[in-house]
Amino acid sequence: MLVPGKIQHIICPGNLCIKEVHDYLKTLCPDLHITRGEYDEEMRYPETKTLTIGQFKLGLCHGHQVIPWGDLDSLAMLQRQLDVDILVTGHTHQFTAYKHEGGVVINPGSATGAYSSITYDVNPSFVLMDIDGLRVVVYVYELIDGEVKVDKIDFKKTTTASH
Amino acid sequence: MEFRPRNYIAERQSHALPRLRAQNHPLSAPSSPLLSQVDVVDHGNNDFFDPLRRSDNNATVSKDDFQDHENISSETSTQLPTKEWMSFKRFLMQRFPVSKMVSISSISNVIVKGAKAYDKSSTSMHLEELEDPEKYAEEGVKVITRQEYVSRLHELKDEINRSWRANDRVTSLKLSIKVARLLMDTSILQFYPTLFVLAMDIMDMLGDMVWERIIWKAEFAEDGTRLCSLPDNFQASDICSDAKETCNNWFCKIGSIRELLPRIYLELALLPCWRFLVDKPEDCVQRLVMMTRGLADPLASAYCRLYMAHCAQKLPSHDIGYLVKCVNDIKILVMRIISAKETTQGNITNNRRLLVTLMEPTIEYIMKCIFKDASQRQVGNVLVELGLGMNQVELFGSFSCLSIVLHHLLKELPAEVVTSSAVEILHTIECSNDYSFDQCLNYRLLGFRLSERKSRRDIVHAVVDKVTQVMSERNSLDEYLKVVDAYVDIVLQNQMDNHLNTILGGISKRAYNKVVTEDELASLQSILVKLLTHFKVLEDVFALNHFLEILDIMYGSSRSIVNMHILNMATRDSSISDPTSIQLLFEISQALHDDGDFLNTKDDDNQPARLISRFVHMVDYGTEMERHLAFLVECRGAFSSLNELKETLVHSSNCLAIKALKDAKKHLSFVKSCIAFSEVTLPSISAWVKQLYLYLETAEVALLCGLVSHSDGLIDSAINCLLSLDLMDGSRTSIDIEGILSAIQKLCSHLVMVPGNSEQGVTYFPNNILSFVNSRSWMTPRMRTRVFCTILTLTATLSQNKLPYHADHGEIPGNDLLFFGDSSYLRELVSFAEYVLQNLVDTVQQEPSQAARGSMALEACNCIASSFMLSNEISQVCSKLIETARLCLSTSDKYLQSTITLLDINLPKPMVSPSITV
Amino acid sequence: MSIELKLSRASRIYHPSEPLEGKIIVKSSSSISHYGVRLTVNGSVNLQIRGGSAGIIESLYGVVKPISILNKSTEVRPSGKIGSGTTEIPFSMFLRQPGKDNLERCFETFHGANISAQYLVTVDIIRGYLHKTLSATVEFIVESDKADLLERPVSPEMVIFYITQDTQRHPLLLELKSGGFRVTGKMSTQCSLSDPITGELTVEASAVPIYSIDIHLLRVESILLGEKIVTETSLIQSTQIADGDVCHNMTLPIYIILPRLLTCPTILAGPFSIEFKVSVVISFQSQLYKLHPKSDPTTPTLWTAMESLPLELVRTR
Repeated sequence: MLVPGKIQHIICPGNLCIKEVHDYLKTLCPDLHITRGEYDEEMRYPETKTLTIGQFKLGLCHGHQVIPWGDLDSLAMLQRQLDVDILVTGHTHQFTAYKHEGGVVINPGSATGAYSSITYDVNPSFVLMDIDGLRVVVYVYELIDGEVKVDKIDFKKTTTASH
Repeated sequence: MEFRPRNYIAERQSHALPRLRAQNHPLSAPSSPLLSQVDVVDHGNNDFFDPLRRSDNNATVSKDDFQDHENISSETSTQLPTKEWMSFKRFLMQRFPVSKMVSISSISNVIVKGAKAYDKSSTSMHLEELEDPEKYAEEGVKVITRQEYVSRLHELKDEINRSWRANDRVTSLKLSIKVARLLMDTSILQFYPTLFVLAMDIMDMLGDMVWERIIWKAEFAEDGTRLCSLPDNFQASDICSDAKETCNNWFCKIGSIRELLPRIYLELALLPCWRFLVDKPEDCVQRLVMMTRGLADPLASAYCRLYMAHCAQKLPSHDIGYLVKCVNDIKILVMRIISAKETTQGNITNNRRLLVTLMEPTIEYIMKCIFKDASQRQVGNVLVELGLGMNQVELFGSFSCLSIVLHHLLKELPAEVVTSSAVEILHTIECSNDYSFDQCLNYRLLGFRLSERKSRRDIVHAVVDKVTQVMSERNSLDEYLKVVDAYVDIVLQNQMDNHLNTILGGISKRAYNKVVTEDELASLQSILVKLLTHFKVLEDVFALNHFLEILDIMYGSSRSIVNMHILNMATRDSSISDPTSIQLLFEISQALHDDGDFLNTKDDDNQPARLISRFVHMVDYGTEMERHLAFLVECRGAFSSLNELKETLVHSSNCLAIKALKDAKKHLSFVKSCIAFSEVTLPSISAWVKQLYLYLETAEVALLCGLVSHSDGLIDSAINCLLSLDLMDGSRTSIDIEGILSAIQKLCSHLVMVPGNSEQGVTYFPNNILSFVNSRSWMTPRMRTRVFCTILTLTATLSQNKLPYHADHGEIPGNDLLFFGDSSYLRELVSFAEYVLQNLVDTVQQEPSQAARGSMALEACNCIASSFMLSNEISQVCSKLIETARLCLSTSDKYLQSTITLLDINLPKPMVSPSITV
Repeated sequence: MSIELKLSRASRIYHPSEPLEGKIIVKSSSSISHYGVRLTVNGSVNLQIRGGSAGIIESLYGVVKPISILNKSTEVRPSGKIGSGTTEIPFSMFLRQPGKDNLERCFETFHGANISAQYLVTVDIIRGYLHKTLSATVEFIVESDKADLLERPVSPEMVIFYITQDTQRHPLLLELKSGGFRVTGKMSTQCSLSDPITGELTVEASAVPIYSIDIHLLRVESILLGEKIVTETSLIQSTQIADGDVCHNMTLPIYIILPRLLTCPTILAGPFSIEFKVSVVISFQSQLYKLHPKSDPTTPTLWTAMESLPLELVRTR
């Protein structure tokens, strides 16, 4: 399904755990961005990371550091701190996508469907993001009861309100 | 002071981005227009020039600048063979290392005598050549070290170079002749290749110098004016008579050397110069081939032909016929050695085998030259001329061939000839059994050559049939393995299952009751690795007859390598569930674990340990969860020295607990066993931070499973683990501060769902953390700020009427249920929060770095603003923090601006606007 | 003050019909006045009889008067002055006047043991009795005129030879005599000076291993001394063609480049003659060899076999 060379960037919030996963992702796309999850054996991944793709500034953080996990206000705080348009986090293993004053917060969920700190009932999911100018289309691939459901989320970058 | 109330569910709903079912998405179509191809540009610098790899051939010969410039074209044309030659020379020196001492017989007096000996200037060379070289025979054999010999040769090289540049070319020539004469001495067999290489350097150098001199004579007048510029493909008629005269003189001088061997060597060194005199210098090569037959010493004679092959490459065109003649002549010499009676010529009879080995590289190199760019037709001719074919069509008749020649022929033959004539070649190998070369190695080589490309099925079958039949008669395991190894790939690719059976059976039969040698181990390793690489499914390999038996007779590093291949293969897929395989792999892991040498490698990438961990991780007993847990227990016992594995074990048992939980029926006792296993395993994990996280993970799992008291105990352990961080020896720098901080943050998020214990107080755990932070002197203000923010947020969350999440889908009551409407609970939280807030505000001011203080103030401000209701007290705290940030950071700082915006929204306007106008 | 003669050809080879050309180079810090610059060419055959050869009486030892074959002199510059610094005076001088056949026979330059034909050119700057005459001499090499050479080609015929224990006139080792050996071959007996001597040789059989096979090039110089002809044969060059006990029935090439100056066309003149021959010498492995390491290679020994062949050397176009 995922053919090497099709994807321009891979953004992974963390918990790849072993080197082999890293190597595998690297074969899909050499431009790999990873932050450190609590079970990553690779110590060199940073706690947070930012990168710019086109018009967007993206932030990356695993999310086990956010209190409480997955909380909108806390994520917004982190987003302000990193000064990013889109914040990608994980940890809860549940897909979510929120929009608030500061921008968009996306949690792609867990591709393996492993149990999380909060629940053992996890639908495996991942996200493809198509960034085109000021427009972003997020494709959500979620495995629900043995079937892949694909959803689409569409949003535009609002030129940041200046005070 | 009042916590800000939150409605998590409503917030999530109102902020969620709308999801629509996607009809088209990037993975729906085979090629997506949305994702453009990524161009990976390799920025490898092609211009990189490794100075160490440069052939030093030219470095030693310094020429006048303009000459150097003029000769570029001729040098580049010979660059490629030069490179090959360089590596061949290196190979020769390495293949035959020499003992330290070299006894020098009479001929080599140039080495022993001082430099004075050849200073006497003799006007007539030829008279001096009459000097009998044997006249020193009575002086006996001198012994010098190899190093001395080598350095003497280097000195000679320098002297030749120096004389040349001093226009004393006669001396250069005379010294070169003396060097060439050294090659007449083959008394120390093993030294000969080294001597050859050293002498060749000198010969080549002289050849180059003469060539350049004559080129110069042909292109420039005596006063240095340029007469012409010779093209690369010049003819003899392009050369002026003066240059011709000089060239002719050189050949006359060389022609007057009495001894045959130095005369041939010098003419070879000057061979390209024949181009100045004749248009077909190839004819000279033919004559030289014949002349070399006059050298009776097989070693000297073979190496002389080797040099000939090298020198003839420098000619613009050369036939390969002379090379074939050379091989045939060497063949006669080898046959003579083999058939020599045990009589005179001690040199030959004593070390016959050694002699053949020493001659081998000459055959090898000449064969390479023959087939370098031979056409199909030429290949046929070569075979006919080597006595292997009747005619162009019938290659490889029923002729025998000297096996060493056959070996190198087979090595160089074009692949298509090998595949089309494989049966005939096999027949020739069968007929050629002499001790110049191990017949088995020829059978082996044929196998390798055949595997290079796809061959016709019938040919392959005929060959493999024959080879297995021939090998069935050999009892030596080593021979059997060497040959079989080469055919394994063919057998596998052609699905010749019965042959595979025969081969494995043959190995096991020959290895029965025998200690396997190192060589045999290497072959076994190669064979087994090929099998493993071929099969997709590990079970298929295990199912092969004798496979496990053969694996069992192996030991040491070869065994470990095969074991690692097996494990690697086993862990390639997603899970391992076959109990037999699990048992086998467990045993294999044990064998790997027990091979001390392997596990003791304490490098970062401890492959065996990783593979064992991977294997344990991938084991899946399906519904037999008890069996799985038992397996984990077994692993803990078997691989006690593997640190990495313990983490895997904890993960696995935790997963197992969750799996049991997911199972409709509740296996509470089993879940408890899993948690207990994790608990027991955890303390032996030496990496503190990892241990800490695994305590948290286990605590999470325990909570998910409804085991509140277990969970509490594990949280205690985690905090103890945190506390014991300090006990570590002074290597504080190695403490992973970021890791500890995020562990604390994670712990706090976990505490959201942990039911509070009214006996200990609802703030028992946060309090512990707080005191840990405050009691540690090495905690930086920055880290403390973060921890305080974390605790503050936790407290605010705990105060909510409905918590953001609950363990186990709400089956474990959270604090929102336990203490709903309990004012003492809220009071406790508020007073605790006030204390933390004070700590936080104080700590921010302690940060010495201005920039850090600024962002810490903003962090604290964000945290406070989202935790508390907007009271005056809170507003003042926030304003103060904003003030701090404004002093420390630039007003255009984005974080500052966005924080001010937040306060703008949350706080009453009159309070903040005066201070934030920019 | 120095004077130097520089010939136009680096090889210094001239033919009698050609002018000898070159320049006189005078280097001086001050100017020189002189009574003329004179150039002299001189060619002569020097004959000498060395002692030691068999059959020559002690009293005959000595130098025979040289035979002059060329003596010409010319003034390249009349008396006058040569300025300071480097002065080059070119010259050109015919060895043989065109048309006038004053040199009935051309002797090519040759350096032998007893006979040598040598050509010298000398420059003299005569400076009166108060000063020493400045002079310089160089040798130049004369080769026959191409035009004078016979059209006839060198005979391509080869002489076939075979060497066995029975063709030897000197005593041989017992095992050689009884075991026997047979070496056959062929060689050109007429040879152009510019070409190598060619031929081939095959060891067909040998009871005793061969140590070496050499081809000796010999000159035979004869001088008429009174009524006697004194002939001496000496070795010019020795060329090994087999080193060690070579494989039997393998053909080995004979290829010998004739050395310059030490060879010339075979001459049978009145007072002297220069002839050549080659001999094939086979040495067998023997313990005796070590006892007589310094024996003359041309003298037969118990462990050598040989065969001599006449060799006519000619100058061809």
